Amino acid sequence: MKIIGITACTAGIAHTYIVAEKIQQAATEAGHECKIETQGTIGAQNELTPEDIKAADVVILAHDIAVGGVERFKGKPVVDIPISVAMKSPKSLIATIEKKLGKK
Amino acid sequence: MELKEILDEKIIDLELEGTTKDEALRNLSKRLLQAGYISDVDQFVKDIYVREAEGPTGMGHKISIPHGKSSAVRKIGIAIGRCVQDVKWESCMSEDGYQDTNIIFLFCVSDDNNFAENHMKLLADLAGKLGNDNRVRKLQEVTSKSELIDVIINDSACVAEGEKTSDQEEETIEELDIDLI
Repeated sequence: MKIIGITACTAGIAHTYIVAEKIQQAATEAGHECKIETQGTIGAQNELTPEDIKAADVVILAHDIAVGGVERFKGKPVVDIPISVAMKSPKSLIATIEKKLGKK
Repeated sequence: MELKEILDEKIIDLELEGTTKDEALRNLSKRLLQAGYISDVDQFVKDIYVREAEGPTGMGHKISIPHGKSSAVRKIGIAIGRCVQDVKWESCMSEDGYQDTNIIFLFCVSDDNNFAENHMKLLADLAGKLGNDNRVRKLQEVTSKSELIDVIINDSACVAEGEKTSDQEEETIEELDIDLI
């Protein structure tokens, strides 16, 4: 699958980046392509392009504060979770998405 | 500017004293004061607790990442303390909401968002590196400051090629909604 997502935590200093890395690793290890945009105190990094979004099978929004640019994902399957869920269980997150979407 | 330039041995303490979270935080903050990173320990610690009140900063693997923004900050950096004895810390990773912490990454960040943006980018990179389970496990084994810095900076120091990053048990997600928006 092609997995994309956004992470955003309250302070935008630490969890945003840690969780982006955790999702990225869990997805890559499970054999998926993955790109995560971080929306932190320094603004958006690793920004998702229209091409990324078009090609994506699923969008993960892991956040504690509102994320910007959600309208970009219109018509896409979106998983909306608190950042702590992805922090705690990144692998299970990917596995559950695989199961729900019936894709490997 | 590179990551290693913000990893400053002067604000790393491999034998951090303190029997409580507060003592450990204050002792580590004193180092920041001595090294010229902050102007006031009390103000800085108070600002750290503002962020602490918003949610747990224990991230499992006995590591905590307190990270307030403070007006007392003169220079952006990250203090690292390895505790002589474990301290109890709020955590989202365990059932009872607490974990034992023995390594503290204390992010020293100004409350002025435009302050040293390039340093903030490096801190973000560093935070990302803590998302690697093998790295955080390796951190427990380091014996010197230079080794600690090496484990943080070098991806090759902590992940062998082809090696999975973690085989750790994690909580299974039972419910997950996937909606079209």
